[in-house]
Amino acid sequence: MDLDRWIEQARWERGAGLQAAQQRLKRCEPLKESDVKQLCEKAVEILVEEANVQRVDAPVTICGDIHGQFYDLTELFKVGGDCPQTNYLFMGDFVDRGFYSVETFLLLLALKVRYPERITLIRGNHESRQITQVYGFYDECLRKYGSANVWRYCTDVFDYLSLSALIDGTIFAVHGGLSPTITTLDQIRTIDRKQEVPHDGAMCDLLWSDPEDGVDGWGLSPRGAGYLFGHDIATQFCQANGVELIARAHQLVMEGYKWMFRDQLVTVWSAPNYCYRCGNVAAILELDDGGSKNFKVFEAAPQEARGVPSKKAAPDYFL
Amino acid sequence: MEDSTLAPIALLIDSLRSQDAAQRLASVKKLSTIALALGEERTRRELIPFVNESVDDEDEILLALAEELGEFVPLVGGPQHAHFLLPPLESLATVDETVVRERAVASVISVTGHMPAASMQEHLLPLLQRLAGREWPARVSACKLFATAYPPAPEHNRAELRAAFLKLCHDETPMVRRAAAQALAPFAETLEPQHIREDILPSFVDLTQDDQDSVRLIAVEAAGALAKVLSRDEVAASVMPAVMHCSQDKSWRVRYNAVQQLPALGEALGMETASSELLPLYLQLLRDNEPEVRTAATSKLSAFARLIPVGDVTSQLLPRVKEIGGDANQLVRSALATVVMELAPILGKNDTVEQLLPLFLSLLKDDWPDVRLAIIGKLQAVNQVIGIELLAQTLLPAVEDLATDKHWRVRQAIIEHTPMLATQLGADLFQQKLGKQCMQWLQDPVYSIREAAIHVLQAVAKEFGPDWAREHIVPQVLLLVNSDNYLHRMTVLAAIGALSTCVSREVVQMSMLPSVVACCKDRTPNVRFNAAKVMQQLAAVLDGPAIQHTIKPCLAELSADGDADVRFYAAAAASACS
Repeated sequence: MDLDRWIEQARWERGAGLQAAQQRLKRCEPLKESDVKQLCEKAVEILVEEANVQRVDAPVTICGDIHGQFYDLTELFKVGGDCPQTNYLFMGDFVDRGFYSVETFLLLLALKVRYPERITLIRGNHESRQITQVYGFYDECLRKYGSANVWRYCTDVFDYLSLSALIDGTIFAVHGGLSPTITTLDQIRTIDRKQEVPHDGAMCDLLWSDPEDGVDGWGLSPRGAGYLFGHDIATQFCQANGVELIARAHQLVMEGYKWMFRDQLVTVWSAPNYCYRCGNVAAILELDDGGSKNFKVFEAAPQEARGVPSKKAAPDYFL
Repeated sequence: MEDSTLAPIALLIDSLRSQDAAQRLASVKKLSTIALALGEERTRRELIPFVNESVDDEDEILLALAEELGEFVPLVGGPQHAHFLLPPLESLATVDETVVRERAVASVISVTGHMPAASMQEHLLPLLQRLAGREWPARVSACKLFATAYPPAPEHNRAELRAAFLKLCHDETPMVRRAAAQALAPFAETLEPQHIREDILPSFVDLTQDDQDSVRLIAVEAAGALAKVLSRDEVAASVMPAVMHCSQDKSWRVRYNAVQQLPALGEALGMETASSELLPLYLQLLRDNEPEVRTAATSKLSAFARLIPVGDVTSQLLPRVKEIGGDANQLVRSALATVVMELAPILGKNDTVEQLLPLFLSLLKDDWPDVRLAIIGKLQAVNQVIGIELLAQTLLPAVEDLATDKHWRVRQAIIEHTPMLATQLGADLFQQKLGKQCMQWLQDPVYSIREAAIHVLQAVAKEFGPDWAREHIVPQVLLLVNSDNYLHRMTVLAAIGALSTCVSREVVQMSMLPSVVACCKDRTPNVRFNAAKVMQQLAAVLDGPAIQHTIKPCLAELSADGDADVRFYAAAAASACS
């Protein structure tokens, strides 16, 4: 399998007019099942070496949820620059909800395998067998490949994804948030992460928790997993670990990003017009090597740049 | 021997009977393999009858089956046996699911396309008659087959076919009438003129007055096609009144389709009637209550303006066009922005400058980015009509505004027109008006804009020559190499690579090369590996000593870099240089 060629091909569709895109999509054979298997095995070899708190150097561009919105991911690359030119950190939730979870995850994974130093992928709560069976990724694999094999290869990779990242020792990146059972980064480092996301405990909380204004200490999460945590908790965590900023994703923010807790925490959301109907803009956070932080806000890819899956014609009795 | 080759086939056939739908689907998709292995004879005698019994499955599988069978003619033994495929396709053409039915009908058409005329008469006509006499899903499928079945049919069958079609046009089920309305134009094209007049035209008029708007809106779409195959008098007597009637319909979707037929109708009727009968109607639709109708009407502006005398365009159409420029709906304005310049050749230079240019300028400043984008796309056309002096005077200020538009796609659209502007403006005026802007694009926050800016610089450097580029582009670009942001330093590198073929070798060696050498020691690996890539580009224009003494040592050093990607690109560049 020629990775460079496939990455080129997958990106190739972006920006082309609707007709050209459709024709190319038709021509561009999706990655064969056997290639997916090979790609996933390669990815596991790389990911297994990564730490639960993966060390990342600036400059790097931090991205939030993508949720299978492949054409919006290509829009993200148009604004932020292509990998490997630009370094990227994706904070999980690559799959589910959107129409192109397979393409999205496989492109990111192919980039990871080809340029392991230039892109970091950490796990989101949707990178889980249970969740993907409910929110679309499983069905998409079945529809596109006729069997659950591709889903199985991908979910096996999920188990090896790192849980968090530490950028230049000062910015802690995680999909959801903090956990009451964790006060130091070393405690995260001791987790045995190579498993399905558990229903509770530290690993679950990192992927599920949310920050909440007006909460002191820990609160019950309406999500049924993870916790709500207040300003004081974030401050304690930052002080204990020499961290200046917690960057996380996990929650839709209409403006693409949102500061909280006196700039101690930021939420980054990278799925514009989430679920193709929320009307939000998306953002990525660019940390350059001069030490400055820039948010790049972007909108969904224009209609002519995306192929919309052919809708089933409305039934004839629906007049 | 034979058993062992057929064993996998037996497996595939087994999985056609599988309990698991996914397995059945996979097996249907390999149906051609099965047929190939079985041979033509057994495919006809065993596989097709077996398939014919399994058309009671899930829609997804039936869809795949309908698709497969369309390609099956060679597998059943070629054209003279193609009719064996019709029974299963006929069953598929009667199912409830629209997608399956449509696919089955398409396959019937492609299969019968291979059949000899006699075989078509023998098999397709009865099939069509049967479909036309069954429940409504089958009758919907039947409608689509008339255009295929009619031409090869013998004279005595043709009357029957026409009668059957007319019956479907007046079917009790609206779904069938819709299908008939859709089939109207394609069927008419296969008919003799006399029968279009006597059979199709009355049905067309009836369908445009159907009590269901979903039927009327499809029927009216046939007007343009009918206008082409009928005489002018017939169009004036029957088609025009029907379209005019639909233009006043209470359902906006019908008016929406009606207005799109006006240009084709006008063409058939000639200038006089177009002006006296259709223009008032068109003006009214341009002012319709529904923005969708106004959008559709506006998009036909130039197509319609061509059909009426120029005097009418200026006296009646233009005032309305100016109103549309201020329409409250952005889609209407967007449609106007797309077509307004097509009026210029009709109006001539004077009217264009006086009447259209103000409108053009106001659309360039529209609140809505799509409108601005649509009008920018027409800059070239404006230039052709009004010439560069006027363009520079009136449009450049607007272009300068748009160059810093907050929507990056608008900026990109302007950038794409910059080389054209450069050619028209000449070196001095360009430098004065847009030179600085080009450098700002090079530092744009959006990657695609920076990338596009590089292409512009390259095009401009080629246009104005190496000396101009050395003086006005190279120094400004090289200044940016000290940016704090690695993304911007890499933009400079890419620009150096692009410009290296547009300036003299001396400039490359004396100005560009030192900057790239400095980038080889950059703190960020991304900059270093891009420097390696650019070194390779510079080596292509530099001579032996520079390569030996500067480029190769740099690449050698980078080949031992701590970063894997730097090592990779440095090694690739080094091997390309030697």
